[in-house]
Amino acid sequence: MELSDANLQTLTEYLKKTLDPDPAIRRPAEKFLESVEGSQNYPLLLLMLLEKSQENVIKVCASVTFKNYIKRNWRIVGIAVEDEPNKICESDRIAIKANIVPLMLSSPEQIQKQLSDAISIIGREDFPQKWPDLLTEMVTRFQSGDFHVINGVLRTAHSLFKRYRHEFKSNELWAEIKLVLGAFALPLTDLFKATIELCSTHTNDASALKVLFSSLILIAKLFYSLNFQDLPEFFEDNMETWMTNFHRLLTLDNKLLQTDDEEEAGLLELLKSQICDNAALYAQKYDEEFQPYLPRFVTAIWNLLVTTGQEVKYDLLVSNAIQFLASVCERPHYKHLFEDQNTLTSICEKVIVPNMEFRAADEEAFEDNSEEYIRRDLEGSDIDTRRRAACDLVRGLCKFFEGPVTGIFSGYVNSMLQEYAKNPSVNWKHKDAAIYLVTSLASKAQTQKHGITQANELVNLTEFFVNHIQPDLKSASVNEFPVLKADGIKYIMIFRNQVPKEQLLLSIPLLINHLQAESIVVHTYAAHALERLFTMRGTNNTTLFTAAEMAPFVEVLLTNLFKALTLPGSSENEYIMKAIMRSFSLLQESIIPYIPSVITQLTQKLLAVSKNPSKPHFNHYMFESICLSIRITCKANPDAVGSFEEALFMVFTEILQNDVQEFIPYVFQVMSLLLEMHKNEIPSSYMALFPHLLQPVLWERTGNIPPLVRLLQAYLERGANTIASAAADKIPGLLGVFQKLIASKANDHQGFYLLNSIIEHMPPESVDQYRKQIFILLFQRLQNSKTTKFIKSFLVFINLYCVKYGALALQEIFDSIQPKMFGMVLEKIIIPEIQKVSGQVEKKICAVGITKILTECPPMMDTEYTKLWIPLLQALIGLFELPEDDTIPDEEHFVDIEDTPGYQTAFSQLAFAGRKEHDPVGEMVNNPRIHLAQSLHRLSTACPGRVGDFHTTSLNAEALQYLQGYLQAASVTLL
Amino acid sequence: PVMSEHSERMKKFKNRGKDAAALRRQRVEVNIELRKAKKDEQILKRRSISIAAMEKSPSPGEDKNPVIPLSLGEIVEAVNGSNAELQLQATQATRKMLSRQKDPPLNQIIELGIIPRLVEFLTHADNAPLQFEAAWALTNIASGTSEHTRAVVEGGAIPAFISLLSSPHMHISEQAVWALGNIAGDGPPYRDALINCNVIPPLLALVSPVTPVGFLRNITWTLSNLCRNKNPYPPLDAVRKLLPVLICLLEHEDKEIISDSCWALSYLTDGSNDRIQIVVDTGILPRLVELMGSPQLIVMTPALRAVGNVVTGTDEQTQAAIDAGVLAVLPLLLRHSKPSIQKEAAWTLSNIAAGPCQQIQQLITCGLLPPLVELLAKGDFKAQKEAVWAVANFTTGGTVEQVVELVQSGVLKPLLNLLLAKDSKTILVVLDSISNLFLAAEKLGETERLCLMVEELGGLEKIEALQTHENNMVYRAALSIIEKYFSGEENPDLQPGTDQDGLYNFSVEKQDFDF
Repeated sequence: MELSDANLQTLTEYLKKTLDPDPAIRRPAEKFLESVEGSQNYPLLLLMLLEKSQENVIKVCASVTFKNYIKRNWRIVGIAVEDEPNKICESDRIAIKANIVPLMLSSPEQIQKQLSDAISIIGREDFPQKWPDLLTEMVTRFQSGDFHVINGVLRTAHSLFKRYRHEFKSNELWAEIKLVLGAFALPLTDLFKATIELCSTHTNDASALKVLFSSLILIAKLFYSLNFQDLPEFFEDNMETWMTNFHRLLTLDNKLLQTDDEEEAGLLELLKSQICDNAALYAQKYDEEFQPYLPRFVTAIWNLLVTTGQEVKYDLLVSNAIQFLASVCERPHYKHLFEDQNTLTSICEKVIVPNMEFRAADEEAFEDNSEEYIRRDLEGSDIDTRRRAACDLVRGLCKFFEGPVTGIFSGYVNSMLQEYAKNPSVNWKHKDAAIYLVTSLASKAQTQKHGITQANELVNLTEFFVNHIQPDLKSASVNEFPVLKADGIKYIMIFRNQVPKEQLLLSIPLLINHLQAESIVVHTYAAHALERLFTMRGTNNTTLFTAAEMAPFVEVLLTNLFKALTLPGSSENEYIMKAIMRSFSLLQESIIPYIPSVITQLTQKLLAVSKNPSKPHFNHYMFESICLSIRITCKANPDAVGSFEEALFMVFTEILQNDVQEFIPYVFQVMSLLLEMHKNEIPSSYMALFPHLLQPVLWERTGNIPPLVRLLQAYLERGANTIASAAADKIPGLLGVFQKLIASKANDHQGFYLLNSIIEHMPPESVDQYRKQIFILLFQRLQNSKTTKFIKSFLVFINLYCVKYGALALQEIFDSIQPKMFGMVLEKIIIPEIQKVSGQVEKKICAVGITKILTECPPMMDTEYTKLWIPLLQALIGLFELPEDDTIPDEEHFVDIEDTPGYQTAFSQLAFAGRKEHDPVGEMVNNPRIHLAQSLHRLSTACPGRVGDFHTTSLNAEALQYLQGYLQAASVTLL
Repeated sequence: PVMSEHSERMKKFKNRGKDAAALRRQRVEVNIELRKAKKDEQILKRRSISIAAMEKSPSPGEDKNPVIPLSLGEIVEAVNGSNAELQLQATQATRKMLSRQKDPPLNQIIELGIIPRLVEFLTHADNAPLQFEAAWALTNIASGTSEHTRAVVEGGAIPAFISLLSSPHMHISEQAVWALGNIAGDGPPYRDALINCNVIPPLLALVSPVTPVGFLRNITWTLSNLCRNKNPYPPLDAVRKLLPVLICLLEHEDKEIISDSCWALSYLTDGSNDRIQIVVDTGILPRLVELMGSPQLIVMTPALRAVGNVVTGTDEQTQAAIDAGVLAVLPLLLRHSKPSIQKEAAWTLSNIAAGPCQQIQQLITCGLLPPLVELLAKGDFKAQKEAVWAVANFTTGGTVEQVVELVQSGVLKPLLNLLLAKDSKTILVVLDSISNLFLAAEKLGETERLCLMVEELGGLEKIEALQTHENNMVYRAALSIIEKYFSGEENPDLQPGTDQDGLYNFSVEKQDFDF
């Protein structure tokens, strides 16, 4: 492309079109620009345009296009390959680097920012080696006196240097920093001093001050970057200059710089906040050198806190400043700075208490943005808030001064409570602060699951609870002082492990009552608190509260929970739904009388939310609740399954027909649960669905796979004969699903679940013709991409096959695929890998299978396979004697979504749809060790002398000892 | 290089215990320093300034005959002239200028071009005062930058000074020792030039039971400079010659002599394992360990460095240091008030923790865990960084029981707090340590308990926050811990096709199998 006016004109046209709202015009223009960006001079034309175009829109558009072009193309990845050619020719690169800095500096701010970004992208690749004069070019501008230019340079420098804050130390990085320091540190220091000087000569010039303070902010940021990796010699030598000035700036105020905006932080706040960061950096990393300055900063920062207002715009500054104090007060050698009773009192009174106050903004959030409020307050996403910072400072101070701090605050808490008592409707915020203060003072450690786990022993939590929390919750109106209600409920929630059970028991009806509160926060907290209380553990791993203790409340609890779902704003409230689930699980059969109404409400809810599922947790707990209803009811009355099917199938059909992807995995799980409840042959309604379940489209979604496999297993368990007789033509499709799954490393175990069910339940003749194919497939996986998981499943499967069809059948089918295959599998797979099998049932299947190979497979006795007999026996004894897997007892009541292994959004396993563990050899063999002994005995009777010789001569001593133990236990001997 | 360096180490973490020696970290990772030269390093070159020198000035009559100040021109003239009296005056005047406290005119004197003459004066055995003044002046020139030292060496000073070592006048031979020390301190080339000119035998000959302490200090310092610097290291046979004398000097009662001897040993051990072995073989470790516990900072510092270097070596060398009692002394040093000692001690500990689990066990038995945890909690940041490495190494190489012991010592809280460190590498090493703790917890079936502990101690929210860290490796490490403990690929050949009925087609081609 020539650098011609014609080309400039063309480019202008196309740039203009890229701004068109109509995609039919915009897209082709974007395509065109992309197609010419490899041409020489293209970037230079853009630069010319952004400098000279008459239209501001085009200038800005050109600058953005230029920056994106640099972002995409400047970096040359290794050697230019076909599809990643170097699109920017060398001469353009040189020209860009020669012109971009002055161009950036002379451009208006909007364009300056784009070019500054572009420079930092180029700098990331070329600086310093391939752009040696960049630094000098920038530094010389410091003397220009033009702060528009200076700020451009500072901004660029900031974007170039800020990576020093997160990159790892390396020779290359430090060489660059050293180079930068050499050229930049002194001019920056001079600029810093000069800028401060100018600030004092321009104290009455608002617009000048704004520019100067923007510079100071950038300078303070650069200071942070340049000092991050280590303390540079230059800055150590000039610490006095920097720290004295930083200190002065912290204490500075100027009316002209104060902003009216309540939300957005102004320049003064941003600068002070950055200075707090800088001081914190030095305090953390260069304590030895910074020590002389630190006390001054502590004083300045707490004075700053004392004088800073409650507006939101100060939030970042205040929380940064408090965090600084919190980090310093924990250090033993600064303990003395805080030790004085007056200091402590003043910090408590003037820094902590004011920042714990419930502000207008909090009140707004409480009422209008309750979801956000709950997230911050309950789930701890409050890291940057003032309250949180104040709370951290309390904890920091308590490390050394727990007694005095508790003492000071007790006084405050009392006086705030008195204020409240004088006139609750006006002074309720005092009580809120008092509760917050007690909470932060008392809680030393906390988890979501257990609430407070370590408490300050100096605070009497139960007394406070009885005197100040319960009375609020007992008040006749659930809607009065909603914030205090929420505080009280939260108090129960987090101190549930500290408050005695009898007090908690008294609170339960109060919490149930507050489910009716209009405030979203209040009824949500009430639901959440009930849910948490119901998951508390008593002795022996049972729940702390028993179903019997809850009996008086069942009806009102269920009624209020479901009613709460009808309150405005809570129609998909996950806390309420979780509380429903937990209540069902706790109350068990006492909910049965209410099931007809409950299941109606749940199906209606299901129908409603399936139109547009948006709350995954809510949905999950809803399905869990449905499963619980089914399980609890059918356990008492198996015939009730029909009425559930009647209630649910219509909605399920709708979900499947509309392909509501989020719900399909759940539907399959509920259907599995229902199908498994049937005692007799599979109902025809299910059979009609069978072909649809084999549709590839369902299996392409990973989230469907586990529940669909589970469902097909249920089909096979209940209806294998029906499938063999009425749907034999679908067997290849069923095996196709198996093949699909086995091809995937992620899903192969699911394929094996399916295959195991097929082998176990299908009549043998119905799968006869496919058996060889099945094994060939498995061998291919074994050959090409075996994994431990695959091998484990494979071993279980072949042993199950052996149990079902006999060892001889196994040997014959292996050897029919390839001669000597059986020996190879024994030697290379079974013997070396069998110890990896885990799970009691799995181990048992393998034990019985191997016992059959040892004792019921003639080729093991008479062919070249004979040499494998002892190693196989040895491996089997190893399998027996491996330490048992300590499977965790059934704890499904306590389960959380987050706890479910392998939880992912695509598939959410329902704990309460859980499948009972199935033991296919259960009836056949009780004790596999005895079974081995008896089988060996039988074998030795059939061919006397051989087995005895075998094992006594070749088995290792330890294994022999174990084996003799089995024989003894079975009261048999080998002949 | 950063990435590869780290992934190297990560690899080692994964190969638990396979190559524990490789976990040990040599002293220098980065050659470029941003900081001021360390204040506690030994001085490379020293200038002999007048006030200090005059107090002990062996030059007789100086106080009686104050030196007449001369102009530079007069100096040149006198030095180049043949009047011995004037030569002495001019040389003395030069020496005086070079010995003043502030801004000695090193460059100007060099520019006068009189260095070859001053070197020549060194050979005037008949004129001891002139020899002495010239030697002093040259010593001070050599104490400057490399340029300055080079001017002296290129003036032919090396052989002249070496001969002067055997001067009958002790103050002259002492001055020669000093000058040679400055030349040796310049760096490997001159150090080796001196060694090749056979400086060692006459130098060692000066060490005797009757050598005055002041003189012996100078000799020791020069000897230490002959041991100093890497790339290349001093030749092995030179080291073998120097070692026995250094070992003797280590027994001296003067703390400065001991200090410089320790420095010498710290240089000799700052290298490959075979160099460490030479020092270990002398059996000096127990003495070094004893000196590590010295109340004198100038002794403790280099002794700690030397022992710290030894434990970067093989497991056997580390064991030798353990047998010498290093683990009994380290707790004191970890609790030392001086940050640089804390740091050095923690570095030493981190390398011992990189050893096999038997050594880790000794570290536990000797009570190193409480001071380690304390340091992690409230040490200086430089020391905390090293302590984090110690934890990482410990959790990589330790047995499950040992890791449990570490957790019971309270390591978790300070470790998690360091996730707020303003240093990406430290954060990453903490995250690695946490992963190691989880691996141990998994083996014990205590994952859930560890999760709760991490959450209780405020660790979870810190790890969560790191998922937005600017450093890729940090964020990935954080993410992987979250995904693995705190939250809840395909084989195309085997994929089935679909049939006319739209279902999967079950089919497979047979191939030959060989597992």
